[in-house]
Amino acid sequence: MSSPAIPRPASVAAMRRILRPARLPQRPVTATPESCRSVCSGAAATRPGALNASSLRSPPSRARIPRPHLQPAARSYHSHDHPPPPGPFTPAESALLSAAYKRVPEHGFTQEALALGARDAGLLEISPAVFPGDGVFALIRWHLYTQRTALADTVDEVAAGTPAGPAGVAERVERLTWERLRANEAIVGRWQEALAIMAQPSHIPASLGELAQLADDILYLAGDVSVDPSWYTKRASLSAIYAAAELFQTTDTSPGFRETRAFLQRRLAEAAQAGAAVRSVGQWAGFTAGAVVNVLRSKGLRI
Amino acid sequence: MATPRALWQPWRHCHPLPLRSSLVKTSVITTTSTRLFSSSSSSSSSQQQQPQQPQQPQPQQSPPPPSPPSHQPSPSHQAGKKKPLTPSQQAFLASALRVNQAGELAATLIYTHQTPPVVAREPHLAPLMRHMYDQEAGHLRTFNALLARHRVRPSALYPLWSALATGLGWATGVVSREAAMACTEAVETEIGDHYNAQIRTLLEMVAGWEAEGYEVGDEFRHLVDTLRRIRDEELEHLDHAVEHDAKKAEPHWLLTGVIRAGCRGAIWVSERV
Repeated sequence: MSSPAIPRPASVAAMRRILRPARLPQRPVTATPESCRSVCSGAAATRPGALNASSLRSPPSRARIPRPHLQPAARSYHSHDHPPPPGPFTPAESALLSAAYKRVPEHGFTQEALALGARDAGLLEISPAVFPGDGVFALIRWHLYTQRTALADTVDEVAAGTPAGPAGVAERVERLTWERLRANEAIVGRWQEALAIMAQPSHIPASLGELAQLADDILYLAGDVSVDPSWYTKRASLSAIYAAAELFQTTDTSPGFRETRAFLQRRLAEAAQAGAAVRSVGQWAGFTAGAVVNVLRSKGLRI
Repeated sequence: MATPRALWQPWRHCHPLPLRSSLVKTSVITTTSTRLFSSSSSSSSSQQQQPQQPQQPQPQQSPPPPSPPSHQPSPSHQAGKKKPLTPSQQAFLASALRVNQAGELAATLIYTHQTPPVVAREPHLAPLMRHMYDQEAGHLRTFNALLARHRVRPSALYPLWSALATGLGWATGVVSREAAMACTEAVETEIGDHYNAQIRTLLEMVAGWEAEGYEVGDEFRHLVDTLRRIRDEELEHLDHAVEHDAKKAEPHWLLTGVIRAGCRGAIWVSERV
């Protein structure tokens, strides 16, 4: 076996020190400088493990122990000038999970894949114990995170469109969603088990967060610039369509998943029709109300 | 922040011109904002990312390859590098842009619905109302572009703000011209305070980065300049409203009090929802 890039830690404790991030991610704070003061002063009092009267009276609640592996709330402001904040996985975790990911087609999203991956990466087989629970959800999140961030590489190709001309936003959304579905090809046989794990109540918030982030990324990369309430409706409908298409894909046996692509296109067309219908009704109602008010004004009513 | 109103109100009608520049130059470093630009190790990432990505049209940054964690470089080595934004800074910027967009949307709708009843009674006010509307529409376009560029979500209560602004504009327009001007005066006063607070916080962030030796890019300088320009135009609207008898609206204290309280509540909610 080739010499590992990562030194073998002497003990489980040493391994935990390596695999845990140097600092725990900050709790996301919404809004004003005033609230920042409360964060600064309040954080010390509620720090888990703080020895004060209230913490001694009641047993420490598990819910307050911060989990280093959960990403902070979806990044709220994307800066083009400044370097991006760190991803949800530390470098050592990334090495372990990327090695374990190669074992997934054969062994599924299981602890066997994690143990074999740890061995491949040159770590102790007990290394996956650093992840909360049995570690398989971390492996699933690795798949979701890497495939989502890989979409950015396909943007140029998608935007170029056909020889007829550059692709419009709707076409780019379809292409990007299809590229993301294609990325499931290697592990599609194991995906139903993974969906079952993601549906466990403790994993639902993170799973839905990843789905929402995927829909946001696809719409952003497709060039959608709307910032009115359709921002929410587009992302909600794209999340639902993607989830349905992915579920369909797990039972699709057609070559190159062409049935899945047809399914996706039908759903997107329905969503577009529904959106156009709602917009038309809204436009009609707005024009009618405006016309009524203007007619009354022209009759002399002071409104 | 209590300080902007105290500095601003007594000076307002005495020294209009130096006020705006002096407000911006007095940067009161308050402890409440230290979190936003603190250089402590807790706020910076434990692993240094590859130094700033070259400016690319591609909006999404791909995840950095695993790299061994490195310690914080000393300030002399940071020239030309930009510091990653902390989560609280990102949250502040997102909520600031969100509130500003909601505010400009409300202003645009107020003018749209105030104009017909006011101009029907006093046609000579048409050019003024048109000018103020055009400036607000420009502000709205600016913030829409900023939100789209920086991937900030709009306020979830967008339809509610639209309905309330429509109702407020129409109601004050129908009552009288003075009431419409008093509404403008109240809204622009709150907005002026609000923009000043945001500019102050942004300048503190910039000062913090410069103190640590990091580079401050065009993005932030442009953002501060945009907010200053928009703040100046809002204060110009305030001047116009006062010139056109805003103070003569009958229960002036009630109208402006209620509208200012409503604005403050809407700002507080939009920052969060």
